[in-house]
Formats: sequence, C-alpha cells, structure tokens
Amino acid sequence: MTTTTVTAPAPGTSLVRHGVIAWLSSTDHKHIGILYMCTSIFYFLVAGLLAMTIRAQLIQPNMTLLGPHQYAEIFTLHGTAMIFLSIVPFALGLANFLIPLQIGAPDMAFPRLNAFAYWIFFFGGLTIFSGVLVNGGAAATGWTAFAPLSDIRISTGGGQDLWIVGLLMTSVSGILTAVNFITTTFLYRAPGMTMWRLPVFTWEMIATSLMILLAFPSLAAVLALLFIDRNFGGQFFDAGAGGNPVLYKHLFWFFGHHEVYIMILPYFGVITEIIPVFSRKPLFGYTGLVLSAFAIAGLSMGVWAHHMFTTGAVANLFFSGVSFLIAVPTGIKFFNWIGTMWKGSIILTTPMLFAVGFMLNFLIGGITGVMIASPPLDFHAEDTYFLIAHMHYVLGGGSLFAIFGAIYFWFPKIFGVQLSERLGKWCFGLLFIGFNTTFFVMHILGMMGMPRRIYTYPALQGWGELNFIATVGSWIMAAGVFVFIWDVVSASLARKGVADDPWGGNSLEWWTTSPPPEQNFTSLPPIRSERPVFDAKHPELARRTGK
Amino acid sequence: MRNVRFVATTALLLPLAGCGVYGLPNGATQQAQTMHLDWVVFSDAGLVVAVLLFALIIAPLILWRRRSDAYPPQFNRNNRWEIAYTGIPLLMVIGLFAFTFWDEEIVERITAHPANTVDVVGFQWSWRFHYHNTNIDVVGTPQSPPQLVLPVDETTRIDLTSSDVNHAFWIPAFLFKRDAIAGISNHFDLQPTRLGVYRGVCAEFCGLDHALMSFTVRVVSRGDFARWLRNGGSSAILSAKGASL
Repeated sequence: MTTTTVTAPAPGTSLVRHGVIAWLSSTDHKHIGILYMCTSIFYFLVAGLLAMTIRAQLIQPNMTLLGPHQYAEIFTLHGTAMIFLSIVPFALGLANFLIPLQIGAPDMAFPRLNAFAYWIFFFGGLTIFSGVLVNGGAAATGWTAFAPLSDIRISTGGGQDLWIVGLLMTSVSGILTAVNFITTTFLYRAPGMTMWRLPVFTWEMIATSLMILLAFPSLAAVLALLFIDRNFGGQFFDAGAGGNPVLYKHLFWFFGHHEVYIMILPYFGVITEIIPVFSRKPLFGYTGLVLSAFAIAGLSMGVWAHHMFTTGAVANLFFSGVSFLIAVPTGIKFFNWIGTMWKGSIILTTPMLFAVGFMLNFLIGGITGVMIASPPLDFHAEDTYFLIAHMHYVLGGGSLFAIFGAIYFWFPKIFGVQLSERLGKWCFGLLFIGFNTTFFVMHILGMMGMPRRIYTYPALQGWGELNFIATVGSWIMAAGVFVFIWDVVSASLARKGVADDPWGGNSLEWWTTSPPPEQNFTSLPPIRSERPVFDAKHPELARRTGK
Repeated sequence: MRNVRFVATTALLLPLAGCGVYGLPNGATQQAQTMHLDWVVFSDAGLVVAVLLFALIIAPLILWRRRSDAYPPQFNRNNRWEIAYTGIPLLMVIGLFAFTFWDEEIVERITAHPANTVDVVGFQWSWRFHYHNTNIDVVGTPQSPPQLVLPVDETTRIDLTSSDVNHAFWIPAFLFKRDAIAGISNHFDLQPTRLGVYRGVCAEFCGLDHALMSFTVRVVSRGDFARWLRNGGSSAILSAKGASL
C-alpha cells in the first residue's frame, strides 16, 4: 500500500505566474472572474472609442465626418458593447471573483459550467463584432434592433444575423452564470455564514441572478423569433402578414427593463461594500437594504412597458404607477449609504470618491427617471437626448463609476498590487468633470427638441453650442481613462507589494492573502455578523448580528 | 434654518425664472399647457430632492472626515428613521402619480367630433398628410419636407400609422409625440393655441435618413385654413402671419 500525501499549494502564490494554457483551461473562479473583467474592460475601451467618434461627428451642425450608415453601425456597436459586453459581464466577473471569497467557499458550485459560460460569452462578443468584416457591415439598427427595421427586407446585411447569434450566446452565458451564483450562495457558505450575514454585494448578486433567470429567456425568445423571421420566412413581426411589431417591443422590453436593474444592482452592491469600510462603521439598515434589492427585483416584473408609453398600445397608467414605486426602494439605498456615513470617520480614498461620485450622478439619473415615468412628460422626452442623458447618468455616472470604484478597491486583493492613490484621484476628477460636462447639457438638448440617433442636425439656435460642450466633455473623460490605463500599467510594472487587508475591510476576502491562494482560505475567522474580518480584528467593537 | 428656507425658495422659483424651463418650449397646443405644468411640477420636485440629498451626501464628507484612529460609534439601525425614509418618498411618488393620473386623461382625451381629421403616414423617410373629405394629399421627401397646416383654436384629429418600419411623429413645440407603427392606427387630438411655423421630426430611429425625416407644422387662422382647404391646399394663399419656429 502506498500513501498519498496531499499538500496544499503555498498561500500567496501569484495568479500571474501560470502559463497561457493554464489560463485558457482554468476552472478556478478567480481566473474566470479576471478573464471576465479584463474582457469587459477591453470592450469598455472599444465602446468608449466608438462614443468619442459619435461625439466628434456631432461637434457642430451638418458634419460629414461619418456617413449615415457608418454612424448607425457605430451607435449600435457602442450600445451593444457597453451593455452586453461591458457593464453586465464586469459585474459577472467581479461576482465570480468575490462570491466564493465572501461566503468562505473554495470555488463556485459548478466550476466547469462557469468556464463554459465565460467562453461562450467571449465568442459571443467576437461574433457580434465580426459583423464589421461581412458584406453590408455590422448591425445598424441600434442595440434594441426593433423589428421591422431589423427585418431581412430592410436590414439585408449579414451583420444583423451575427448580432443576433452573438447576443444569443451572451444571453445563454448569463443564464448559466446566474444558476451558478444562486447554487453557490445557497449551498457553499462557510459555517456561521447565515443568509442574514451575507455581504451585501453577494445579496445584490442573488437578486441580480434571479432577474437574469426571469429576463434573459425573453431576450433569447425575441432573438430566436427575429432570426426565424429573417432566415426562415417567419412573419412574427410583419404587420402585412398578420404579425405585430408591438410584440417585438413587449418581448424585448420585458427583458430590457430587467436588464437595466441587472446593470445597476451589482453596483449598488459594490458601493455598499465600499462606503462602510471608509466610514469605519457598520452598514446602516442592512436588512432594509437587502429587502430593497428584492423589492426592486419584484417591481421590475411590472415596468417594462414604460418604454412603450408613446406606442399607444399599452396601459400607460399601470406601468407608470409601478415605475414610480421603484423610486422608493432605490431611495432606501441612498438613505442607507447616508446613514452609514453619518457620524462616521470618513477618509476619501479613490474607491470612496468613486462611491460618492456614483451617488451624486445616480441621483440625477434617478430623478429624471421619475420624471419620464410619467407618460405626459415622456410624450416629450421619449427618444430624445433627454432620455440619452437620463440613461447615461444611470449607467455611465452610476454603473461605470462603480466599476472604477470596484477596480480601485479590489485591485490589491485580485493582483496583490496597489494602484496609485494620486493617479486614482486624477482619474476620478477628470471622469467626474468630463462626465457631467458631456451629459448634463443633453437634458437641455432633448427638451429643446433634439431626437436621439441622428447622424447630423441643422444649425438651430443653441444646438451647436451645447453639442460642442458635450464633445469637449468626452475629451476630458478620455483623459481620465488614459490616466487609469497609465496607473494600471505603471503599478503592474512597479509591483509594489500590498498587505492582505490594505483598507481595513469587513468581508472574508480581506482575511485571506492578496492574491488569494488557489483554494482561497487556509483559515477562517469566526463568523458572527456581516463583517467577520472587522470583528476578528476589533473584538472590543464586535457585535453579533443575523441568526 | 433661515438658510434652508432660502435654498428651498430659490430652488422652487429657479425653473420659473426666465422664459421656458431648461430650454423646454412653451407648448403651443391646449394639451401642451397641461404637459408644461407637469414638467414644471416634476422638475421643481426633482430639484428640491436633488438639493436635499446632495446636501445629505456631501455634509458627512465635511463634518465627519477622519481626524484620528479612533472608531466612531458603531450604530447600524434606527427604526424611526427607516420608517421615515421609506414612508416619505412613498407619499411623494403617490402625489406625483396623482398628477400623472389626472393629466394623462386630459392629454389623451379625444373629442367625439373633431373639426378636421388628418391621416398621417410615416414612411422611409418622410411623411404623408391626407385631409379627410378633401383631395389634399401632401407627400414629402427627405430633401423637401412636407408641411402640415392646422387651424388655430380648433381640434384636429390625427390618425397615425406607418407603411414600413416604426417611426415617431414628434412636434417639440407641442411637447408631444406618438409612434407610427405598421398595422396599428393611433389617434390623438391637437388643438393649437398659437399661430406660427413649428418644426416636426421623426423621433424613432428608422434607418439611413432618419435624421432628415422632418416636417413643418403651420398653424394658421381659421379663415386662412378654410380658404386653404377651398383652394386645394395651395400654400400660396396663406398670409405670412405668425413667428417662425
């Protein structure tokens, strides 16, 4: 008989020391999380460059830098990449990295399914962008691809089909990942980690995963129907043959408005992780905040047709009423964050600055959201630059600011490398000023009468000036992103080491080494509240919560 | 306390100062009066909430910056505040919804006997206006946008549809738009209150020349309108009354 000795890998093994093959074949949740996040940052940069082109074209009236078809391809790819290939997958990647660490587990419940989900997402993204190589160019019908505009008789190019197939792949990827998150959180929690002691980011990901399971099948369905219409003689959306273009809008927006919350709840979670750490206080109103996430997920079942107020084909008042109600749980989160900072001991590190920027920007997006939830206001604002401003305040000023906050907060944990606080603050300042310069004036442009998705506009009073301001803002934002890239590159080259818990963190990921070892933990502290690491380091302040 | 009152008063009056609210047109129809009031009410309420919450977010950053390594009191709940910040926003949105509830009905109300009816059809990439019970049929192109002539102080019914992809019929000065969708006929009433020439556009992306799919709306006196109808829609007989855009 021979005996086998199992030795655990040494803690602190660097993640970067593996070969390329090891990365491609890895089922480690940390590797997959990093792959997701890097891919989504890549697409963020691509989509950002596309946005810069849009702003360049609109810098003054009657510009001819881009033709109408090119312009349509660019705004379609910009929206598609930001939503499906950047903001959502960054959240999935961050959750992949964090959920097992936050609940004290060695990996996800289904590691191979996890790798499979990443790779179909990866090839889905390539499929969407491969449209630029085919005859007729990439999809040019907007990220919503409304039929009958996306019908084969009008959008004849293969780019639209590649867009459909690529998006189907990313939606399947999302469904598989959501199943994995829910199973992992319900079954793999460490002893003592009860549901009411889960870190809020993990809670928000449970709510997000439930919404993915409800919404993505609707997206898959509408894409499949559109594919059948285009390629196999279907007539689901052809009014001339008994189909109905409004059906497309219903199926799309039933997915689409969940998608809005899928893009924001994970980032509510990010902000909620950052604020208590830099306020040196426990989260204010933990239970209310968790319940508010599920209230948003529940209410989001009944708001999709607020995107259809102007169709004249839906019960406007019902969808308006439910949309108004969403403001209440969203407001609760704001007061949770304010209550956490209240009488705290606040230090404005880069992640905290991004959290504050998130709150200020998202508040403006939330307020304009309540305005356009009212049909009599939406009749003017729908499909205008007012709407563009609203949605970018929520997703750009909101989600993207939280993405930068998350990177500055967890970069030391993920790579064992500290980013520069000085450059981080420059990055924040430029992004905050640039963002508000670009998007605030768009509210006014929309009210004055500028519709969205136009490649050129006449020289009407004030339009040129406001568009010029918006374009200048986009240059300031680009400078901020450049500082960020510079920071990441120089920090990675300098490889200045970092402590396991550089910020004084609360949740379990700060207990293990930076970066974490392959099996995540060699020991765990006792878990008696939602901030076990804080409790272990400050027994005199520790308090038992949850059941 | 006096400061708070000053800020609140300024915030309420700010949007009302000057002409128009943040670039919002004044609203040149009966229906637009209601929608304009809604914009003022909602943006004022929004401004009050924004100022209050901005203050609540920024104040802690100034008042409670880290000055020592000591830990602040570790409180994490307060039932009374939690009920307040759930209940007060709930009451606010119920109030705003009440406004919506009444005004939606007013804006969408359709009279039984409109003075005129116009069929509007959106197509790639212009508009067709057909006046009921006449031979007047205006068809535009992207290069020569069509003109919709409406009488002032009379109700005109618009029957809207599309002959191909989705479009949206939007007249910014009327603060109103409605989608033009193939297979669906949308009806709404417009009662212009001011003479003038206004800009109209397609608001829903509809392909290549979407940006050029505009039209003009010319609001004329009832006498002019009657003469215009009698002359089969010849714009030459219209007097050049009314400001442009």
